[in-house]
Amino acid sequence: MATEVEHAADPHGGIDPNENYLLAGKGIWSWLSTLDHKRIGVMYLISVILAFFLGGMFALLIRLELLTPGRTIMGAATYNRVFTLHGAIMVFLFIIPSIPAAMGNFVLPIMLGAKDVAFPRLNLMSFYIYVIGAIFCLFSIVSGAVDTGWTFYTPYSTTSSSSVVSMTLGVFILGFSSILTGLNFIVTIHKLRAPGMHWRRLPLFVWGMYATSVIQVLATPVLAITLALLAMEKVLGLGIFDASLGGDPVLFQHFFWFYSHPAVYIMIVPGMAVVSELFATFSRRAVFGYFAIAMSSLGLALLGFLVWGHHMFTSGQSEFATMVFSGLTMLVAIPSGVKVFNWTATLYKGSIWLTTPMLYALSFLVLFTIGGLTGLFLGTLSVDIHLHDTYFVVAHFHYVMMGGTVMGFLGGLLYWWPKITGKLYNEPAAKVSWAFIFVGFNAVFIAQFIMGSRGMPRRYYDYVPEFRPYHAFSTYGSWVLAVGFFILAGVLVQSLLKGAKSPPNPWGSAGFEWNTSSPPIFSNFAETPVITRGPYDYHEATEEELFDGFPEDFKKTES
Amino acid sequence: MSTASSDHTSDHAHAPQTEGHHEEGEVHVHVNSPLFMIAIFAALIVLTVVTVAVSYVDLGSANTFVAILVATMKASLVATFFMHLKGDKAIHSIIFIGAFVFLIIFVGLSNDDLATRGAVDVDNGAHRLERTGVVAPGGLQIPAAPAAPAGATTPAAGAAAPAEHH
Amino acid sequence: MSSATTTEASHSPVEGGHGHGHGQHAPFLAHHFDTPAHQFDSAKLGMWIFIATEILMFGGLFVAYGLFRGQETEMFHQAHERLDKIMGAVNTVVLLFSSLTAALAVRQSQVGDRKGTTRWLIVTLLCACIFLVVKFFEYQHKFHDGLLPGHYFTAHLAEHAHNGHVLPYRAHMFFALYFMMTGLHGVHVLIGMGVLSWALKRNLDGKISSRYFTPIEIGALYWHLVDLVWIYLFPLLYLVG
Repeated sequence: MATEVEHAADPHGGIDPNENYLLAGKGIWSWLSTLDHKRIGVMYLISVILAFFLGGMFALLIRLELLTPGRTIMGAATYNRVFTLHGAIMVFLFIIPSIPAAMGNFVLPIMLGAKDVAFPRLNLMSFYIYVIGAIFCLFSIVSGAVDTGWTFYTPYSTTSSSSVVSMTLGVFILGFSSILTGLNFIVTIHKLRAPGMHWRRLPLFVWGMYATSVIQVLATPVLAITLALLAMEKVLGLGIFDASLGGDPVLFQHFFWFYSHPAVYIMIVPGMAVVSELFATFSRRAVFGYFAIAMSSLGLALLGFLVWGHHMFTSGQSEFATMVFSGLTMLVAIPSGVKVFNWTATLYKGSIWLTTPMLYALSFLVLFTIGGLTGLFLGTLSVDIHLHDTYFVVAHFHYVMMGGTVMGFLGGLLYWWPKITGKLYNEPAAKVSWAFIFVGFNAVFIAQFIMGSRGMPRRYYDYVPEFRPYHAFSTYGSWVLAVGFFILAGVLVQSLLKGAKSPPNPWGSAGFEWNTSSPPIFSNFAETPVITRGPYDYHEATEEELFDGFPEDFKKTES
Repeated sequence: MSTASSDHTSDHAHAPQTEGHHEEGEVHVHVNSPLFMIAIFAALIVLTVVTVAVSYVDLGSANTFVAILVATMKASLVATFFMHLKGDKAIHSIIFIGAFVFLIIFVGLSNDDLATRGAVDVDNGAHRLERTGVVAPGGLQIPAAPAAPAGATTPAAGAAAPAEHH
Repeated sequence: MSSATTTEASHSPVEGGHGHGHGQHAPFLAHHFDTPAHQFDSAKLGMWIFIATEILMFGGLFVAYGLFRGQETEMFHQAHERLDKIMGAVNTVVLLFSSLTAALAVRQSQVGDRKGTTRWLIVTLLCACIFLVVKFFEYQHKFHDGLLPGHYFTAHLAEHAHNGHVLPYRAHMFFALYFMMTGLHGVHVLIGMGVLSWALKRNLDGKISSRYFTPIEIGALYWHLVDLVWIYLFPLLYLVG
């Protein structure tokens, strides 16, 4: 914990604190050994984008295989491995670290007016733990892969001959990366706020990160012990989850979902945190119901621990417990609704500027609402008996995870791109990529809602001919989606190579992270800032703050 | 941070944010006397003797209750005095107790399932269906010979025992 | 109330901007903290959050223990009688004593007594070794009696009868939990020893003073956690089963 004291004698390692962070220190080693939260954030960003690419490739393979009934391109055993890897990579390597570890690391300390996170060495360590965990997962892929689904349900996972142990070990290690990042952020938020940055002035992104970190710290250790028990079960035949040895396989599901349901909120709350920033900036007004949005993030974090049994309605869990969990699940609608209504109210009479990040934020609002409302169907006990383990569930959680978190991630990526790289990107081309992604996404998953409600089970390799049009439509949609992502990748690469230099505040935002240069200097701010207003107080912000480098033609219409 | 003190006058709503700042910025702690700590240790030993002694008396299910009660008393002593929760920042106590709150949620809602299987529908979770007498596959299998070697996932063949628990 | 932040800036070396009148930074103070107290509080808060994490991690095993014990109370009671109460009690006293010595080490470092700190840390580490040695003999005994988890459990066979009784085969569940719980605790003893050794090294290097004793404080906090877990393990496994 207190290991960072050693570099105190030379606080900046010979680096000029006022140098642009990208140039402060040269060579690959200065990146790999950096303690700077911004560089660690960038390294995380590159890692999660690679993981997203890999997981996306598996997704395309799944859709291609399901284009026609029976065998299209791969056998059933391979198909089982492909959908497992898609799920495991997307969940553990991409979506959980995506916004918190990559963007949180970069933006959170700057938003607080801090020079770094509380424990910079621990931060670097958690990045390397992530890398080691990822290596174990990749090792599992090349050594036969896993065919259990990302949930590793017993008893299949304890009897499957695929390389479950190395995959669980990888996920176990990734869990510690997640715990240490969460711990670091909580301490940073408690202890490293600049003078004047009191709790009621925290940006909503920071509130979201705080709620996420609390879940990471409290839930992830249970995943660790669950996977340790699972590995021991395979190695020693422990029997705790094995009915033939006197154990209880349903207990595994309790253990697993005690982590993995809160983990759903590790995934979605950061997305909500990002779009809260986007709505404020691009509506040019204070967020409506600031405190309600902040508290609803904490409310989601707490409720996330009370509802895990709704994944187990048909598992042999007692009827009494299913009723309790179904009732508790309905409570989740309250904080989710609070957020959606407050965002909508923020838009009302705002001066809306439809940039690409704002388009992603609006997509989030629509898609998350669809995902959330279909969640109510699934939380309702009797309806879930019909819909359980169908494509309806698949579509529901993709609307939340991809329509929610990934849209938030892409919105945040483009929003903070000028801050991270110091370059502007091609706005019209980015809008085109957004259109492909939005249309493609809906095409993939609306078809899945329909066939799910008609009984198409998830994870099946083959299906009856009646479902063929829906599957084909869904597959075509996946190609549109893929085209959108490749255009976006092109936009970002073009920006890196040839993008115009970004001014400090290209969006005219009142948020604090835009008050430093783009890209930020090594120590974030030349002097510890003194905060005298909230992050959304446009009425108190000066012209200079809002329009420092803001494009001239926009400035005229704005003021 | 020179502004932190001037903030006191200009901004009265910043109280939580100064939690890390003592007046002089130096670490201030309350130092316990060694004698006091040894007294706490003695109390811990006494409680250990009590809990071992009680375990030799058969109190039925009260044995468990007493054991957990005494353990909690011991844990409280360690946390309060050895870990200095007493006189420390409230946030540390909140985190510590909060962890137990979430543990209770975990136990409570898991037990909510395991303790109520078959409470509404007798066939739920049953190993043998009451009405038809059909026995579900699985269930405890006792290996007859010395334990199977490492690596085997199912013990050597043995007669399936009747449902040991539901 | 206008300018939110003062960034574009002038020059003032970052270090001059804060520090409450300390012209010179203490050598142990990292650049992103304002004062020694600020750094100390942050480290301590981090350790407490980590302790919460550890509680939840052990919690999973306690939950499994509680649920299976609820179903198989009689079997658990039978199986727990094969554990050695005396060895368990000795280890309890050893760990409680090590907790005392860890607390005394912190106290001595707070008053600036470097030699006293070293002494008590070494006593704490010795206690940890005694604990592990006792644990080793306990495990050895269990191995000999076939009281092992999973496939390796053979105590239901006549050759391992104890006072003419054999355990039911189901009792392997108790030993699965016993080995997982005490094994994970043992791993934490080893980690705790590592943390305390690191603290000891920093003390021997002369890095510890009454102004800066963070390594001793957080090392001891971790060690107390190891003790706390054992305080619950001992009665649940050895005394009431």
